[in-house]
Amino acid sequence: MTSLGDRILGLGLLVLAVAYGWAAQQWPEPFGGAETVGPETFPTMLAVVLVAGSLYLMIKPDPDAQWPVGKSAFELVISLVVLVVYTLLLEPLGFVIATTLAVGTLSWRMGAAPRPAFLTGLLSAVVVFVLFNYGLSLSLPAGLLEVH
Amino acid sequence: METLGFLMEGFAVALTPYNLMFALFGAFVGTLIGCLPGLGPANGVAILIPLAFTLGLPPETAMILLTAVYAGAMYGGRISSILLNIPGDEPAMMTCLDGYPMARKGRAADALAVSAIASFAGGLIGTIGLIMLAPVLARFALTFGPAEYFALFLLAFATLGGITGKNPVKTVVAATLGIMISTVGIDISTGTQRYTFGVLELYEGIDFILAIVGLFAISELLFFVESRMGRGRDKMNVGKLTLTMKELVMTIPTQLRGGVLGFISGVLPGAGASLGSFISYTLEKQVVGKKGKFGEGDIRGVVAPEAGNNGASSGALVPMLTLGVPGSGTTAVLLAMLISLNITPGPLMFTQNADIVWGVIAALLIGNVLLLVLNIPLVGFFVKLLSVPPMYLLPIVTMVAFVGIYSISHSTFDLYFMVAFGVAGYFLRKLEIPLVPIILGLLLGPEMEKNLGHALVLSDGEWSVLWASPLAMGLWIVAGLGLILPYLVGPLLRRRMNAAMKESPVSD
Repeated sequence: MTSLGDRILGLGLLVLAVAYGWAAQQWPEPFGGAETVGPETFPTMLAVVLVAGSLYLMIKPDPDAQWPVGKSAFELVISLVVLVVYTLLLEPLGFVIATTLAVGTLSWRMGAAPRPAFLTGLLSAVVVFVLFNYGLSLSLPAGLLEVH
Repeated sequence: METLGFLMEGFAVALTPYNLMFALFGAFVGTLIGCLPGLGPANGVAILIPLAFTLGLPPETAMILLTAVYAGAMYGGRISSILLNIPGDEPAMMTCLDGYPMARKGRAADALAVSAIASFAGGLIGTIGLIMLAPVLARFALTFGPAEYFALFLLAFATLGGITGKNPVKTVVAATLGIMISTVGIDISTGTQRYTFGVLELYEGIDFILAIVGLFAISELLFFVESRMGRGRDKMNVGKLTLTMKELVMTIPTQLRGGVLGFISGVLPGAGASLGSFISYTLEKQVVGKKGKFGEGDIRGVVAPEAGNNGASSGALVPMLTLGVPGSGTTAVLLAMLISLNITPGPLMFTQNADIVWGVIAALLIGNVLLLVLNIPLVGFFVKLLSVPPMYLLPIVTMVAFVGIYSISHSTFDLYFMVAFGVAGYFLRKLEIPLVPIILGLLLGPEMEKNLGHALVLSDGEWSVLWASPLAMGLWIVAGLGLILPYLVGPLLRRRMNAAMKESPVSD
């Protein structure tokens, strides 16, 4: 049982806290002179609390969780890529096509057979699209399918 | 009797066909959310917020919808506990102990029916408690000054980890992170740009709705991907209803005890629905003693925790509505809805937005009746949905989250932000940093800073004003206890909860 996770987290938080606190000291004095509570007061307090918390985590870390390795980690990266690519393609390709691909790929990677996976994607995409655009009149991008 | 008048007005709001329709819809969706493993109540309500927002629902309707979802989720949690021995949400954990053995004995239908009735009783008792307690507390809260509020917010953070929480330092770290995120943007009182790095999208601060949806929904998807539980589980047979009137009458005292205990632990900071159902179950076991067959499918072992957690869920609304300080994850998400509707929660809400507060309370009563009616005949339908494997369900839920966020601003920038929050949420959950304090920090951060500023301006920069009044001092002490007690009592309580879980003979 190692406890590297908490130590690394603690270190990261310490850096964050110091940077956050330091940045707060750099702001120009607000117009009208300094008050007891300026824009930097509260952030400075937060930085102090976080420094204390992060030091504690580094000194008394909890045991590590099970981190995904190999195939699980690979699947996680794939899911993330799908989400980012989905966002990227949402407007150019349009909602229905992008969603079919995204939901289909995710279901497939989570263990469904390809055909039902992409069918689920298509079906859910069409249902949501129709519901939003016609039922609730909130426009989702039509993209390639737009009728000119 | 003033309260009764307000309540009647509340009913007038909640009983309009439009609001009633949304309450019914919410109750239905809520049960669904509750019974599907991997879609907890906080997560489910979070996904619905952007939708309620973009639909342009009037504030009272939006709140009624979400409160109905909240109540429904508490009903739904029991279905998978009983049928699959997997709690649909955390408070439903104790229902597994006797619910699942009952189902194995072929009495699944009875367990489902009696737990629906217990949920109703618990919800009803909790709501009555809410009606009696909330106005009193709101009146008391009017005496709070900025220093007291500041201390109250600290108390909320300190007790959020709950008495059973594992590492209070992690709760503190999480809350601090949340408040830090809330400081991004232009400072309200001075106009200073803070942590915007010149990015235009950050000037108005980070929208907490997308943070919440990202942290909950996206990280949930990632967790499922990692655990590769996509296939789902075998379906259970529900069988025939054999519950007799006599059995039902026998459980009435249990229902009352469970509901009251649940309500109390819901109101208290740091207890929450999980502890509510645990206490109700343990007490019931003590009261009934050797005569009961707890852990082997005793009907009272199903009734007690269900009445407890539904009582607690109404109880948890008390601090949220009266003080603006939620005590649980789901009520925190409800608070997010209130804030984005531009309603300042807290004691003033009872006078300024009386129609909303009482509309919500009346909706809770109506919702409970609707839920009881929905849950008994429709249980078969919910059971069918339980067998939809997560590999189809979670991608669709994620997509709905995307749609919700996208439809608020029509900007893909927000979607990238949401995904980033999801990744952060995944890592934080892996490191056992709780997400709820982050959300609460995001929501309460600006209020906290404002109150700090007011207190110090009033005292001419004298910091001791923060703990000068006895009330503020008291709040500080309770907050301190909230951080220390988990170290002292936590391990003991956790051990007992685990022991209770292991005692059940069929915990396979």
